[in-house]
Amino acid sequence: MRAVIKGRIGIFHLQGFLDGNNAPSFLTIDDIKATEALNIDMLLVSLKKVIFFNKNGLDTFVRLLTNIRIQKHIVVGFCDYDHTKFKAINSFYGNELSFSLFKSEKIAELFVSSNKNESKTVLLYNTDQSQRSAMAIELFDYGHNPIIAQSLSEFEEKKKNLDLYYAIIEDTYLGYFGQKVATRVTGNAIIYTVSNFLDAEIGNTFNIAYHNNSLNVGFRLFIFDAYKVVSMNVHALNFFTKLSSAAAEYNATICFVGLTFEKTPQAFKNDLEDAGMLFFDTMDEILKNKELLSDLGGGGGATAKQHRSLTKTLVNELSHFIEATVSTIAMMTNAQATKSSVKIQTLTVADSTDQVASSIGFYGDIDGLIILVFPRTIAKKACELLIGDTNVTDEDILDSLAEFVNIIGGRAKVLLSENKKRLDITLPRTYADVKTLLEIAQDKKGVQVDLSFEGQKFIFFLTR
Amino acid sequence: MITSEEVTKYIQNIPPAPSVVRQALNYARAGDLPKAAKCASEDPALRHYLKILVNRPLYGFKNEVSDVNQIFSILGLSATVQTLYNYLLSLLTPKKWELFALTDHQFYDLQASLSKRWEKILIHLNIDDKEIHSTISLIPATIIVCEALFASHKADVIQLRSVKALDFNTILKRLSGRDLFDLAGEIARTWEMNDKSITLIQAASGLQSTLTPTEKQLAQWIHLLLFYELSQGAYVSAGLNEFIDFQIDFVADIYESFMQVME
Repeated sequence: MRAVIKGRIGIFHLQGFLDGNNAPSFLTIDDIKATEALNIDMLLVSLKKVIFFNKNGLDTFVRLLTNIRIQKHIVVGFCDYDHTKFKAINSFYGNELSFSLFKSEKIAELFVSSNKNESKTVLLYNTDQSQRSAMAIELFDYGHNPIIAQSLSEFEEKKKNLDLYYAIIEDTYLGYFGQKVATRVTGNAIIYTVSNFLDAEIGNTFNIAYHNNSLNVGFRLFIFDAYKVVSMNVHALNFFTKLSSAAAEYNATICFVGLTFEKTPQAFKNDLEDAGMLFFDTMDEILKNKELLSDLGGGGGATAKQHRSLTKTLVNELSHFIEATVSTIAMMTNAQATKSSVKIQTLTVADSTDQVASSIGFYGDIDGLIILVFPRTIAKKACELLIGDTNVTDEDILDSLAEFVNIIGGRAKVLLSENKKRLDITLPRTYADVKTLLEIAQDKKGVQVDLSFEGQKFIFFLTR
Repeated sequence: MITSEEVTKYIQNIPPAPSVVRQALNYARAGDLPKAAKCASEDPALRHYLKILVNRPLYGFKNEVSDVNQIFSILGLSATVQTLYNYLLSLLTPKKWELFALTDHQFYDLQASLSKRWEKILIHLNIDDKEIHSTISLIPATIIVCEALFASHKADVIQLRSVKALDFNTILKRLSGRDLFDLAGEIARTWEMNDKSITLIQAASGLQSTLTPTEKQLAQWIHLLLFYELSQGAYVSAGLNEFIDFQIDFVADIYESFMQVME
């Protein structure tokens, strides 16, 4: 069994009965290797469709999860259970719970980085005060707004107003957490929350793959929320210096907010400034100053001064990327998409009304960005196999569009591997309208392929 | 991937029951086991299948049973009809399993185990109906249909399932409007099983909303029994545990009774 990947989370979806006899059969050696190779922040086992489990059954997965947590410093645990299952797991493991428990996948998603710019208001309660605080801190660090109930009666009272909250967090437990630097997206800026004393460990806790992905998909402003940082040593200094230099290639800006130099040598600040790092006292200085935000790159891509040009190698592989796109559409719809024109130009969308878009970056032997711009109706049609229900929201369409470009990225990876080219793909990004996309991509030259599907046009754009 | 045309073609190509089996079935349905046995003895493949089946450890016979007459007497009327359908289904198994890592013997074990456990369930439910008894034989048809339709699309399905937890049944339904249980029902129709069986086979998906209370109750038991079997290590390893979506809410209210019967 392989984990299904959604954003930065991998989930094993088990079904039926789980005990010590059958549990090992769910995971072959290849499955374990594939799981270890995943580039994710959280690995979970869903118990939604498990009607019976015992401790021996869970133990098989706990062993895998624990190994992965130790190796990769990611969050691991179980999700999608009811109160009875939650109680059973707690009674099996008691105080030895080394993994996390999330009542639902939706709750788990609140505790990982995503490419979405969303702050959710959630109601939170846990009988254990330390758990309550830990969850609140994590949620806040990921950009959410946790409302914490201090007592069960307060929780029950607040729970009555379901509409006020995106999720109600109960029967949830944070095991080993805070192993990764919390990340959130605000507008076109990415905010990393760092705390305490920063040392060489930052190299393990900072998700460099996510950071590189974000650069590849067009983010240009990165802010370290450092209010809770006490001090840092030379190893952390080196880490941030290198990060800043690497960002310069993308014309990206990295800032520190709230960092004090009472216990950190002033010389470190000078070194970091030399590397291009900027310092601000408060977050609002950046986020509420539109002009500054735009100057720093957080207003979109319009300020990019340098452009990474198309390479011959990338253009040579164009056919594989188009093949991946066309074959994915054929697989998902049983209909053919046909190519009508190919031009090297900046992204040109003739009619931007009612269009949605998605993009996925790739890096490795070659790097670049695939952008797809669809009329909303075509996007829906293309994703029907994933969505199922015809009565869907715009958010469902965008989520499925992210899954759709993920498949295209996966296919391109396979096609290019046949030519001995190794690729990794980034998290997909979706756009509810093309305005934001055009801000990021407007000055980028790339190959624009106009394709036609069921009588309507859509755009494939390959750029760097 | 899979088109409605491919599904229609599959249905058109379901082979009818061979005349010997059809005759044996008619005798068995009419309660004439000796004539059914005489008829079945004329088909060497059927004879061999019956011998292998009845001598499996699940049936618990100390000495080998090889005479068809004896086999049918041991099985009794309902189980004989069911076994003849099991045989018919075994004729549809692929030469080589590609989608699922399954062997023919594992498949026959699954058939035998489903049959034995279904018998226990019907005793518990106090139901004595040959047609309901034999319905369970057609449930593994979903696996055969799935293998036949998806084997050549394995890579596509793996890619699709890397981003979304979609089972084969849902994929087929969304692409063609018909699911694996509908197609198992088509096989039952071709083999002239009665309407009650066809309805039950289709209802066993756990996805139908317009069922009578009796149909619902039986469909719940079949659905849970299927997942009980598919949770065995060998079938999990074969990839069968994830081929259809387990409707946990559909079976929630019979779970306790089910476990008592199985224990």
